[in-house]
Amino acid sequence: MTKFWRVAWHEYSRHVFRKRFLFALLSMPLFLALMVMLVILVIWMDSNPTPIGYIDHSALLANPLPQPAVKWPMRTVPMLPYTDESVAKADLQAGKIQTYYILPEDYLESGQVEEFYIKEPKGIAIEQFTSFLSTNLLVNQPKDIAKRILDGTQLIIRSSDNKRESSQERLVNIILPFISGILFIIAMSTSSGYLMQAVVEEKENRTMEIMVTSVSPGQLMSGKILADIAVGITQIVVWSLFIALILIFGRDFIPFLSGFTFSGSMILILIAVMVPAFIMICGLMAAVGATVTEASEGQQIMGLFTIPIWIPYILIATFLQNPNSPLAIALSFFPLTAPMTVAMRVGFTNIPNWQVITSIVILVLSAVGSIWLAGRAFRLGMLRYGQRLHWKEIFSHQRA
Amino acid sequence: MSTVEISHISKSFGALKAVDDVSFEVEKGEIFGLLGPNGAGKTTAIRVLLDIFKPDHGSVSIMGGPMTEAKKDRIGYMPEERGMYQDIPLERCLVYLGTLKGLAPMDARIRISEYLERFDLASSRHKKVKELSKGMQQKAQLITTLIHNPELVIIDEPFSGLDPINTQMVKDLLCEQRDKGVTILMSTHQMHQVEELCDRIVLIDLGRTVLYGGLNEIRKQFSGHALVVGTSDELPTIPGVEQVERHNSSSYRLTLAPSTNSQDVLRMLVERGIRIDQFEIAAPTLDEIFIRVVQKDDQEQGERL
Repeated sequence: MTKFWRVAWHEYSRHVFRKRFLFALLSMPLFLALMVMLVILVIWMDSNPTPIGYIDHSALLANPLPQPAVKWPMRTVPMLPYTDESVAKADLQAGKIQTYYILPEDYLESGQVEEFYIKEPKGIAIEQFTSFLSTNLLVNQPKDIAKRILDGTQLIIRSSDNKRESSQERLVNIILPFISGILFIIAMSTSSGYLMQAVVEEKENRTMEIMVTSVSPGQLMSGKILADIAVGITQIVVWSLFIALILIFGRDFIPFLSGFTFSGSMILILIAVMVPAFIMICGLMAAVGATVTEASEGQQIMGLFTIPIWIPYILIATFLQNPNSPLAIALSFFPLTAPMTVAMRVGFTNIPNWQVITSIVILVLSAVGSIWLAGRAFRLGMLRYGQRLHWKEIFSHQRA
Repeated sequence: MSTVEISHISKSFGALKAVDDVSFEVEKGEIFGLLGPNGAGKTTAIRVLLDIFKPDHGSVSIMGGPMTEAKKDRIGYMPEERGMYQDIPLERCLVYLGTLKGLAPMDARIRISEYLERFDLASSRHKKVKELSKGMQQKAQLITTLIHNPELVIIDEPFSGLDPINTQMVKDLLCEQRDKGVTILMSTHQMHQVEELCDRIVLIDLGRTVLYGGLNEIRKQFSGHALVVGTSDELPTIPGVEQVERHNSSSYRLTLAPSTNSQDVLRMLVERGIRIDQFEIAAPTLDEIFIRVVQKDDQEQGERL
């Protein structure tokens, strides 16, 4: 094992096995799980299983079929037939039913029903009664036609090259890359923040002098950067696993997630953009760590880099309206805004290949540049105790 | 071949010339003292020597050539600003730093256990470094310097923060290393430790070499023509003695005329029946030499400016 790997493993283990990291790592998925549980709870509570009554004067429901079964956590609402409205009314007042409907004799012609309630029932209950009526209205139709009618309309918008399509049910496919981008950037920011902190700490606790007389600055810096990328990847992998679990199990219960489909090309684009972006940010953070004298000062400078990263998020409405606008394209080519912009556009539109490639090339060059910058700042600033390294010194001809 | 050869190195930081044309050599197996007042440029010289800073001028040869990554494993360095990871257990910190010096983790653990026992730190091996006292951290730092059996040890202020018992232990350790053939370059302000341990010294002031050579030669060079005579008797007038002054409560300092021989003075004292408890050439202490040289140099620099 070379010193490079020893530095990398030391850095990785001292961050990953800390309580605060484990807390940060698990808090996001636990938060997501909690959100899903809340959604499930809201659906479960909204689907009031108190029966719905009906008085049928149209003879449509003489021998009624039950409405189609609903998915958990929704609860099935039993449909209770009444012949006497006064009994239905008494049951409504007694809370035995949540509402009752009267189907008039001319229901088949008019399509009108009367609804009586004390407290307006929730949409889920009404949907079940509507579904109950539709099922019985279509009882004499061939099964496939009945199913087609019951499923209703679904508008699918497909790109001209047939590579991408979107529909209300598949909204998750638009939002997912955006969410992935946000998670990637959170992971990137936290782990590169660790890197900056580690470099400042080594200056503060004077370990730096020992380190550079044991390993080369190049090995030290690259070991640290690799470790912090690995820390970020650990976060992303754990979070992705949780998201995958939520998508796989949640799509059966949460209608919003039911249209989720896996897109390899989208993931490839995200990885190709995020990895050099990650290295670039790590390099910048290491450079900041080498120039400042205290961690708090580093945090302030970090803001200069992290704010531009989040700018595209503020422009989400603009990007949603026109994801191929000149502004969106320009931000895809600016290194600090590119990761979030591309993550959003990849969900909203088909980004032309040349734009994806240009963005990746710019990010790779920026990553190389930031590593050079970090190396130079590190060499010049590593032993500046209590004295800031000025940026102009980094670019001067001073021997490092 | 000298273990360290520093030849006319200069290093500036902006307008400040931290090291100005400094040269010295450290021979294999000796304890060499790098001395100088605060801000003299000692630490910068050490950092140039260790290739942490590149010199603006001059050259450094260490173990037969320029510094390489492989040579770093043959050097033990204890900087003045002690540095250890504060938030991790002591043993883990030492093992990590040991492996960065080329040791396998298992070897590092075995050697660290031995050193922890010797330095009375075994019971603190699982404590976080920040929980250790300053003296304990100092000893731990010494372990990281020696753990990989270096051929060259560069050590900055090795005795600061240590009580007399631990100071003696470190001195014994340094002598033990020298006896094993390890070359030691020691920077310290504690002149009596230098007198006790070092074979040769270099004194740097305002970035420049002001004194360099063997300790005995330097002391001889500064000894002048004087004697210290210890006696409880009153001293009579002795021909050839220009001045008699109290050295301390039980001895006198005799400044001799240039033509007077110390043996003649001894003979005359015996002939006059003076009871002699001590008779020695009055060599100045290194402290006195240090102050004298540095004050003279500062004065010359002041006049030049």
